[in-house]
Amino acid sequence: MKKSFIFKMLSLFMVASFALAACGGGAVTEAPAQTEAPAMTEAPAVTEAPATEAPSTEEVALRWRTRPDNQEEIDVYSQISTELDAQLDGITLTYEPGGTEGANYQDQLRSEVAAGTAPDVFWIPGTDVADFATRGLILNISDLAAQTEGFNVGDFYPGPMYHLTYNPETDASGADSGALWGLPRDVSTFALYLNLDLINEAGAPDPRELAKEGKWDWNAFLDVAQKTRALGSDIYGYGASAWWGPYGVWLNASGGGFFTADRKACALNTPESLQGLDFQRSLYQDYDVATPYGEDPEPPFRAGKVAMFQNGRWATPGVRTVDFNWDVVELPNGPKGTPGNWLFWGAYVINAKTAHPEEAWKLVQALTTAQTQGEVAALGANIPSRVSQEALDAFLTFTPPANNQAFLNGIADAAAPTAEGPLWAGSWPEFDKIMGPAIQGVLTGATTVDAFGTTICDEANKVFNQ
Amino acid sequence: MTKVASLDARTNQILRLQVIWRVVFAVLAAAGTLAPWIGWVTLASNWQKILVSALLLVATLASLIGARQLTRRSHAGRLVSLTLDYLAFVTCAVITLNTGEIFIGIDALGETFGRGLPYLGIAIAGYFLGAIEDYYPQRNLSVTTSLKTVSRWIILGGFVLFLWQVGAVNGLLYFLGKLAQPKGFVAVAGILVFGFSLWSMMRPEVAQALNAKTNHEQIINGWLFLSPNLLGFLIFFAGPLILSFYFSFTDSDAFNPPNWVGFDNYARILNVRFAWLSTPDQLARDVVDIKVYDEVGRLTLGNGGLLFAAADKFFWLALRNTLTFVLFAVPFSVIPALLLSNVLNSKLPGMKFFRAVYFMPSIAAVVGISLVWQWLYNATIGYINYFITLGIEFWNNLFNLAVVDPKIQWVSDEKTALFAVIIIAAWQSMGFNTVLFLAGLQNIPGELYEAATVDGAGSWAKFWGITLPMLAPTTFYVVSTTTIQAMQVFEQVFILMNPPEGPNNSTITLVLYLYRSGFQNFKQGYASAIAWVLFIVIFGLTLVQFQRQRRSSIYEG
Repeated sequence: MKKSFIFKMLSLFMVASFALAACGGGAVTEAPAQTEAPAMTEAPAVTEAPATEAPSTEEVALRWRTRPDNQEEIDVYSQISTELDAQLDGITLTYEPGGTEGANYQDQLRSEVAAGTAPDVFWIPGTDVADFATRGLILNISDLAAQTEGFNVGDFYPGPMYHLTYNPETDASGADSGALWGLPRDVSTFALYLNLDLINEAGAPDPRELAKEGKWDWNAFLDVAQKTRALGSDIYGYGASAWWGPYGVWLNASGGGFFTADRKACALNTPESLQGLDFQRSLYQDYDVATPYGEDPEPPFRAGKVAMFQNGRWATPGVRTVDFNWDVVELPNGPKGTPGNWLFWGAYVINAKTAHPEEAWKLVQALTTAQTQGEVAALGANIPSRVSQEALDAFLTFTPPANNQAFLNGIADAAAPTAEGPLWAGSWPEFDKIMGPAIQGVLTGATTVDAFGTTICDEANKVFNQ
Repeated sequence: MTKVASLDARTNQILRLQVIWRVVFAVLAAAGTLAPWIGWVTLASNWQKILVSALLLVATLASLIGARQLTRRSHAGRLVSLTLDYLAFVTCAVITLNTGEIFIGIDALGETFGRGLPYLGIAIAGYFLGAIEDYYPQRNLSVTTSLKTVSRWIILGGFVLFLWQVGAVNGLLYFLGKLAQPKGFVAVAGILVFGFSLWSMMRPEVAQALNAKTNHEQIINGWLFLSPNLLGFLIFFAGPLILSFYFSFTDSDAFNPPNWVGFDNYARILNVRFAWLSTPDQLARDVVDIKVYDEVGRLTLGNGGLLFAAADKFFWLALRNTLTFVLFAVPFSVIPALLLSNVLNSKLPGMKFFRAVYFMPSIAAVVGISLVWQWLYNATIGYINYFITLGIEFWNNLFNLAVVDPKIQWVSDEKTALFAVIIIAAWQSMGFNTVLFLAGLQNIPGELYEAATVDGAGSWAKFWGITLPMLAPTTFYVVSTTTIQAMQVFEQVFILMNPPEGPNNSTITLVLYLYRSGFQNFKQGYASAIAWVLFIVIFGLTLVQFQRQRRSSIYEG
């Protein structure tokens, strides 16, 4: 009887401990700012920031999230969160790394937004901005920005800011558009990671030298790729992942692209786009210099079996661990004299349901200062999104690779990079799901370029204004 | 006699209070029924208002019926009261926990509780110290007393440290702080009121006064024990199921109030066209309205052909891939399991070890397995191709052959991608199916085999004539469950393939597509419709299997 009573008491104690430990976590790390979703009302197409609240002396708890690529980035962002926590008066921060192997960052975030439990400030890729903005999921912070002394949208790269200041109600963009959806966390672009040992062994010219001499074009690229491919059946001249970024550059470089200039229709079937696609197809099908399309090229590159690996700055931390001589070079120039590179970016945005928009805006600004961006850039994964010679100079010091300048050349005005961006007049995810398999069909030889050009826009144009 | 009289008086008092309480409850529930419609409570959409009002209306009517039955001293009144008060009690408890942010804090439980675990270990060590006496009695009484005392202090100290480390004090203060708001007060008051009502109605005197019989008490206790599971089922399974059925008739995007669209979602899924082609390569736009339809596939017939187009081609591609997956994955995971179970059923040494080995893939995490297979499948540096190359080189050198290394692009070639997923799925589910077959095999009476041996039957004849027929119920179960699982294939594809749809949509499956529609394209309504179509397909397949089982089963009573 006594033992039974003790067991009952112990069980009760354990359950109570669980409950109190759950609350203890909240009490210790501060409760999320948004404890429950406000009642849903008809969401306006464009969510305006709430009116300014009366100043409060209470400590405001904010949760924020950005997608890290590895543990080192998680550590840096955690450190940044701690520093900003100390800097921002009246604001307590909690950093949440998002996304795992089993839970895609964006999918998880969307679920939390739907459930009303998303953080106050979060990062989204540039392609998602329109979806989040037009559905009223993120705040339009243009009013808050207008009241902020010293804030200038011109401090950031114009490509991302075009989309981040796009007002879907007026089709206007820029500082006076009446829209500001967030600030870019960083920018990035593609370069070719070079296995210098393979290139030397093949007796191919050094792409970095060719680039300096202005001779780094598609023909020179093909020449290096073919010479290195000849080293062995398991050695490849070129490797790129299977998503829109890598194949898009070939279309851009020949003067084509995914969309028309106003981004309101498909342009995949223009002669320029098809020319770029055909050249890329030839790398896989005619010259057989590339790792099979659809296979991850990073493992073979790191195993020393790929001479030129196309990837963004984010691949640098991983490549730093290889045991061969390597460096980077900008993408080769296409028929139009530019490499057709992308200006990748993602933005810190503010949850439309945050209870503390002003504090969240302060946090977004703090996360995008030159100092904060420099701390992240030191990892070698990102380029600061502020247009500042100081930031660029600092970036050049984060070696290896020795030729960091290649990344900056990729985003320079002379290279005319195309800014990654959402579809304000359609659904980017659906466009991507139609375009990706069709391009894959061409690059794997299942479809001809002509057949692709004949049918692709019939299907892809359906995603506009659905 | 006096005691009995006073008990009766108290019971009567309780019953009178219960009747009044039932009427008050009914009035409150009726007010709650109207609350969402007159602005007292804000709910996001009409379906939520209707649901809440309907539930409260039922509660109102039930409470009034309960009051009437109680006045008649009918036991039905007690059952109604207990049911309503129990449900309201649970609701208030959940609201209290939610108001105190227990559920949000659960995310941090692993960290906070983990901090305290070492100190819980101290408390457990203290308990064992005290328990030494039970197992190794001491001759010296003072030693025993000292051990008990030390044990108690260690347990107490361990618990205090544990509570301190898990932040129980902070947690309690935080919890109480959060409850200090109208919602919290109402919820706690609800717990007390409904709890008191439950307690009073559970009193034996009250039960006796309402003519409760033994089986009534058993029924109440039975439902009480069943209630956690039943409520969980209703709230987390049946509720969402019904909700998804409703959403399938709306344009819900999960963020904004949904609009009713009738059968539009289903119509889009099922909107297909067949058209004759005058030449095998005639364009789809020449024969169907390309603004509505996309080509799904074509069949070449002589100089012409047949085009299959659909308004949602991805659904039909997903259905094709899913059925193909089922067609191969089910036999590949059932037939080897059947053969393997016969081998493992033997009494050879080491069989138990191999039973465990073959079962291991079933308990391994799908994400981990898929990532490992991703590396194995890599066309350029993966082990599978590496060994294929080694093997071909070996045979070429040995026999002076010129066999070409196929360098299979397992996951990047549309011809092999789905097959790669099938291999993983079959490999993973084979172990579990083997265990099921083993259980079935061990239920077959040994006398049957002995009789067959006496009759001169060989191993094959025994397997074909005894084992297979006797395993029919197990086989039916294994095939049915494996088919249902295969129809819902998702994780392996989602992790293994990049992008998950695979080359030229060759690995897009129905669950993957509904996930993509609901969580990536913001089309929760459409995704719900896909889910219900998938349900109908699975239901149809299972029904066919049941009917075939009934026809062919000769060993069932």
